[in-house]
Order: sequence, then C-alpha cells, then structure tokens
Amino acid sequence: MQKRVAITGMGVISSLGDSPATLHSSLCNGKTSIYQFDESHLNGSGGKGSGRIAAFRAQSYLRGKNLRPLDRTGQLVVAGAGLALEDSGWTPEHLAEYPVGLVLGTMFGSLHTIAKFDRHALEQGPGCASPMDFANTVINAAAGQTAIWHNLRGINSTISSGSASGLAALGYAMDLIRFAGQTAVLAGGADEFCFESFCGFEHAGMLHSSGSLELPVPFHASRTGFALGEAVGLLMLEEWETAMARGAHILAEIRGHGSAYDSSRQDRGMAVRSIVRAMADALNDAGMSPREVTCISASANGSVREDQDEAVAIQSLFNGSSQSIPITAIKSMIGETLGASGSLQAIDLVETMRSSVLPGILGLGQKDPLLPELNFCCEQQEINQCHGLVNSIGLDGNVYSLVISRGPGKT
Amino acid sequence: MDVEAIRAKVKESIFKVTGIEAATISDSAVYVAELGLDSLSILEIAVSVEEQFKFHASDEELSAIRTVDDTVELVRRRICAAVA
Amino acid sequence: MSAKPTVVVTGIGMVTSIGAGRHEFWNALLAGTCGFAPVKSFDTSAYSVHLGAEIQNFKAEDYVRTLDVNSIGRSSQLAIAAARLALADASLDLTEIDLEHAGVCGGTTSGEPQFIERFDDHYVHDELRKVGREFITGYPCHVVPCHVAMELGFSGEAMMIPTACAAGNYAIAHASDLLRARKASVMLAGGADSFSRITYTGFARLGAIAPEVCQPFDRNRKGMVPGEGAAMLLLELKDHAIARGARIYCEVAGYGLSCDAHHMTAAHPQGEGAARAIRMALDQSGIAPEEVDYISAHGTGTLTNDRLETIAVKNTFKKQAYKIPISSIKSMLGHTMGAASAIEAAVCALAITEGHIPPTVNWKEQDPECDLDYVPNVARKHNVRIAMNNAYAFGGNNSSLIFRARAV
Repeated sequence: MQKRVAITGMGVISSLGDSPATLHSSLCNGKTSIYQFDESHLNGSGGKGSGRIAAFRAQSYLRGKNLRPLDRTGQLVVAGAGLALEDSGWTPEHLAEYPVGLVLGTMFGSLHTIAKFDRHALEQGPGCASPMDFANTVINAAAGQTAIWHNLRGINSTISSGSASGLAALGYAMDLIRFAGQTAVLAGGADEFCFESFCGFEHAGMLHSSGSLELPVPFHASRTGFALGEAVGLLMLEEWETAMARGAHILAEIRGHGSAYDSSRQDRGMAVRSIVRAMADALNDAGMSPREVTCISASANGSVREDQDEAVAIQSLFNGSSQSIPITAIKSMIGETLGASGSLQAIDLVETMRSSVLPGILGLGQKDPLLPELNFCCEQQEINQCHGLVNSIGLDGNVYSLVISRGPGKT
Repeated sequence: MDVEAIRAKVKESIFKVTGIEAATISDSAVYVAELGLDSLSILEIAVSVEEQFKFHASDEELSAIRTVDDTVELVRRRICAAVA
Repeated sequence: MSAKPTVVVTGIGMVTSIGAGRHEFWNALLAGTCGFAPVKSFDTSAYSVHLGAEIQNFKAEDYVRTLDVNSIGRSSQLAIAAARLALADASLDLTEIDLEHAGVCGGTTSGEPQFIERFDDHYVHDELRKVGREFITGYPCHVVPCHVAMELGFSGEAMMIPTACAAGNYAIAHASDLLRARKASVMLAGGADSFSRITYTGFARLGAIAPEVCQPFDRNRKGMVPGEGAAMLLLELKDHAIARGARIYCEVAGYGLSCDAHHMTAAHPQGEGAARAIRMALDQSGIAPEEVDYISAHGTGTLTNDRLETIAVKNTFKKQAYKIPISSIKSMLGHTMGAASAIEAAVCALAITEGHIPPTVNWKEQDPECDLDYVPNVARKHNVRIAMNNAYAFGGNNSSLIFRARAV
C-alpha cells in the first residue's frame, strides 16, 4: 500500500507576515504588500511595484550565533526552517537523533551574492574576493547553510524549475517519502528580492506597469505583468504512520503531484495542454477525479499569457464543474515570489482548510472577458474545503500541480 | 604603524567576520581552538586584513596562520617589506 | 532485494575536454589523456594560478538543430550536445516514444554563469541599459534542462537539481525514481557546467587550484583544476528497453544521499556523511560491500577531499576497501563541476560493459593517508559487475550511485 504524506508544520516569512495564520489573515483581509519600489537608479524605468519584505531582521529569528556566513537568501531560509521545525515539534534533541531531510526550491539561489562576489573581484582584483561569499554563490548554498544551522543530516537537495521551484520541491520531497524510504523532509521554496533579478525581469518587459491598473491583478483585462516579491515557505512533510507514532499534529495531507513541460514555447495549445496534463496527473496521482476538487489556488500573477493559459486549462479539465470551483490567486496581494510561490500557496491552502475562509483575488472586480467563465473569487468567502489544487506555472514552460486534502480534525 | 595599531585593526577584521568583540580576543588567541572559527572564517579574516593593509598574502603564508599573533606578524612583516 | 521496476542505462553522451561522444571519450580516458591548458576564456593574469580544463573547439551548431544556437548559453549547448549524443548512442527514435512522458533532469553548479558575468560587466561600466531580455531567458539555471527539452520536444518533467559538484548523481537518482514510479517512460539525466570566471575566482581564492597538474590522492597533490563539460545518460525501465530492442549498458541499482550539516566548503572530518550515503546506496541496492568491484571517486585532488574520501571508503568497506580499485578521472578532466558525477556515472556504465577501468593519472608518490588502490597511471582490465560512483559538494551534499551489470 502506498505511503501517505502528512504536513505536520509550516514556516513562512513573507511581506504579509511571518506565520501561516498572519499571512492567511492578511490575504483574507485583502492586504497588499506590493508597494512602489524606488528603482530610479536603474536607468529610468518607473512605476513598478515590488513585494520586498521591507522589515526583515534576521536577528529576530536567529539568535546567539554569528550571521556573517549567511546572506539574505540564507537568512530567510534558515529563519523559515526554524519556524517550520518549531511548528512541527522537531526539537534540536530530536534532530540530533534523527536525520531529517531538506528539499529547497529556488529560481536564483543567492543571485545578489553571486553578482556581488563577481563585481568585487572585477573591481578590486581576484585577490580581494570573499571566501565566505564564494561559499554562498552555489545555488544549493542556502540549503547547505540551513542544514548546518539546524542539524538536518538527511537527504538535502535543491530544485530549480524556475518560478515553479517551490511546488516542484514539494513533489520531489513527497516522492522521497513515498518511494525512497524517507520519513521526515522539510520542503518548500525561497527566493530573495534583489535588484539584479528585478532589473532582469524589468528589462524583459515582464513586470506590471501601472497604467489603468495600479497593482497587478491576476485575470484582469488590463493586466500587464507581475510584481516581484520575495519569501520563504517551508512545510514539514512526514510519512503518515511515523508522524502519528510520534504524536505529531497533522495539519493536512499531500495527496498527489503532477508535472509537465511545454516544450513548444510558441504553441498556446500546447501550453494549455501542459497545464491540463500537470493537473490531471496530480489528481490521478492522488487517486481523485476533478469533481472532488473543492478549491483551486491559481498560479496567476498578472502575466498576460500565463494567466489566460491557466484559466483555459482549468476550464478544459474541470469542464462541467469548473464554474463552481472557487479559484483564488494570492499573488494578487503578495506578488510573484518565484521559488517560494508554490509553497506559499500550499501553506495558505492549508490555512484556508483550517479556517474555512478562502482569500479573494484583490482588485479583480471583473475578469478579463477573453477568459472562460470560471468562479474567480473577488472577495474572501466562507468555504467548506476538503481537497484543494495548487498550481505553479513557470515563466519558462514548467508546470507543477499539487493536491492537498484537509487533515484529520479541524482546529 | 606600531604593532598595537596593527593588532587593533586585525581585531576589527575579526569582529567584522565573526561578531566577536575585540575586547574579548586575547592577543595570542588560537583561531580554531579558542575562538571556535572554521577554515572559511579564518580565510575571510585574512582577506579583510589584506584589504585593510593593501597587500596580498601568498597561499603558503595564509595556510600558516593559526593565531591572532600570526596575522599581526604577517602584516608587520609585509608593512616593513613595503617600506624597505 | 527490492521488487521495484528496474531502471537501465541505454545511451551515453558526453562532451569533455578530452573528447566528445562515447568512443572518443572512452579511448582518450583509457589512454590517460589530460585536458589541462592555460585558461583562455578570460584573463587570468591577475590570478596566481592559470590552469584550466576548458573544452577547445566546441561547435554547438553541430548539435543544436531546433533552437537558435545564439540564443542559448554554453551550458545549454553542451547539455544539448550530450543529449543528442546519448540519443544517438541509444538508437532512440523520437517518433516512436511518448514525448509527453519523456523528461529531462539536469545537474549543475553554476547554470549559465556567462550571463551574470556579462550583467556584472555592464554594471561596473555603468551600462545596465545594455542588459536585455536575454538575461532572464538565458541565465536562471533551470533553463539548461528546459533547453534540452525544447530542442528534443520532450514534454514530461524538465527539472534542474543544482546540487553543485554532486548534481549529476542527484539528477540520475531523481530520474530513476520517476521511471520506477512510472511517471516517465524515458529520461535524460546528467549534468552540465561551462567554464566560469566566478567559479575560478572562488576556488583560486580558497587556494584550491593546482598550479601545474591535478594529481588526486598523490602525496604532493596541490589542488583541483576547474573544468567544464556535460554528460547525459538515457534511462528507461528495463521492459521498455527490451521491447524496443535497445542495447542495455547496465542497471541503476540504487542511490544514497546525505548531508554533513557540518561546513559549507569542507567535508566532515570523519567522512561521516559520505559514509552514510555509501551505506544508504548499498542498502537501497541490496548489495553487500564486498560485491563492489570498482569505485569512481570524487577525487578532486585537494588535500582535504582526497584524505576524507579515503577515510569514508575505509569506514564503510573496512578491510575490503584495500581490494576495491578506486580511480579519479578528475586527474584527466579536471573538475567539471555539475557535470562531473554525470560523466563519472557514464564511466561506471562503460567500466561494466567494457571490463576496463580508467586510471588516476599523474600519480607519483603514495600519501600514507591515501593508501588504497587508486589504479595509478595505467588503465586496467577488470571485471566489473558492480560499480559505485561517489560525489560530494559544497553545502555538505553527499551522493553515492550504484550501477549493476544487467542480470542475465
């Protein structure tokens, strides 16, 4: 019989709060963390929003040890992991006895450190390069730092599938438990906000330009792009029986995951089909039919093409029931957090199931008429949620979907 | 520059890299055994010291550093060599 | 023994500083050919070291047919080349497979570093306006397996596992899991890294680069030599391979992964994490230590790695460690970063089918702390039924992959 995967704890640091409950409450209340980012030094581009965590202080989460070896991404992940471990009841004593794993999804790793290291060497000479910064230039650095900080000696992996990395990491970790004999794996994603990635997305024309819309609104007719954010979201995944045996509090269950890649990159039909396949594979993996899904956390972030492709795919797969399944899009408030996005969506879905309240899509008064008729939630609503689907549609054709079911006994 | 001034600057570098206050670092402190530093931190301190005093140590010189005194002596030697 | 479906290797492709494609590469390797030369891709005059293992005269246009070769970075080009070589080696007809269940899993250390290096060049010259769309479409490391998938039309999973110098093993392990779970019917798995100024600067700063030669396990070894390369293995379930009449190199018997949780750039002093990864791989494969016939070492040539790796092997295999030949091809290729363990995995598959193991070259004097049989200098005919591939990375990522000769 296939092993079941329980979620026994969660940790999040985001621009809308550093606990799952605070994040969820902010989202339900329609708070946005997207603000005008002053990037006037980036050669004149204006009017772009960002979801940077303005007041992140690593010291408030990581006490008593020297923080110099950690860069911003490292600090976020180490701090987020600490919150998730605490939430799941894994103490330092337990971690000393048992090798817990870590799977981190990230699009860029520590891009700012990579660039800073390179520029310092260019400007001052290679002899002035920082050894400590070099250790953080590998994309798996944050996962390594987190393992050192929290004594995580199990399977440690880093996954990059673009902005779908967080969900990809959750699927990868799920399979380590189901097929590779692992019993406890911390999994999720993180990406920092830095001017290098901001500049890159901005020069690629992917960011929201405030025109008729002040903020990026997924599925809106006037959407022009997304707002870049940052976050870390980590979930403790455990083999069900082992979690029960140690008396863990089971918050929810990950039932299945699916993925696909749109290798055409030009053919909209294939793009839609890849999203349909990922969702269908996730449901198939969960042993569920589309009819059983009670809520969808969409990946939509205000991107013109990807939002439409996702909507068309949802209608295609859910067909008869698509008009009734409520759909939310939390990137309307938190922005596009890249590697963290899928894990933030998963965390908020668990909170939705616990609270029976689904956040609305901020600013979506009326959906884009070009999109199919779907049940887009424009405001928070009460919901009796049993099975939710989370989508992560990357900017480069990667698609991941995850099915999460409510845990035993609502809190 | 006298030795005490060099030592003060070396301890500044140690603080910058490790957060250990200069006043708590003995002049002869052993990096690994007493300050609990790893190889990366020791190298980072050396790079910081090189930047302060504007010289580059060879790999052999760097690998010989074990204590605060070793770092101070390296700087003193290099400064004297520069002046000479 | 596990009842899980068997994953087999049916195609091998690689691009390295000593040759491209299975035959050229293997012949060069057995002959002890080294790919070291002064670095050409950037100016090393301000560095105290100058040696690298770059691939000379690589013509991406020979391999990249679908995509615009100028729109993708060098790592993607190398990965595509390795993929095309693997498919040809496997005699895989793409029109006869289910492309929606064909995936790519890659490994890397740096992804496409030239893009961020160009970004930084613009930055220091106050010319950020020259950064175009290509930075976002070309730089993030996940685009490497995506480009392979786009080139071939593979529409299953396209994933990058950037676990640095152990990444190839991680990619092959994950691809094997996907196949066993029947989420894919064929997988290309491997790794790629192109020569990086950032990587070179960092290792030079750590004093880890050898000035003249890479000599793993030798008493006088002075470090590693950064290189570049790519390798891809075509993996499928045994039934699928037999059904299409494929040639089978060997089986992927199992893997072990662990984390030291000790230090970012140095291994655990007792090789504890590495030993755990070896034991997990043996357990998962259902193989006893005395059955291992050959170990492809991580063997970078640094004082620390080679000593600690030797300790880990001795801790796990005990006295048997002295009977298992263990060689490092980094003595010839240098350290190809994310490609290294993928190339070394291919070497394991070839060792099994050819009954021949590559040497550790440039070995002159025994280090008392490295006293195993490193197959010094000369390739050796050796019957290999079980081969183990070990790889270790920054962040304490440890990996061991075991290959087994096809069951008759």
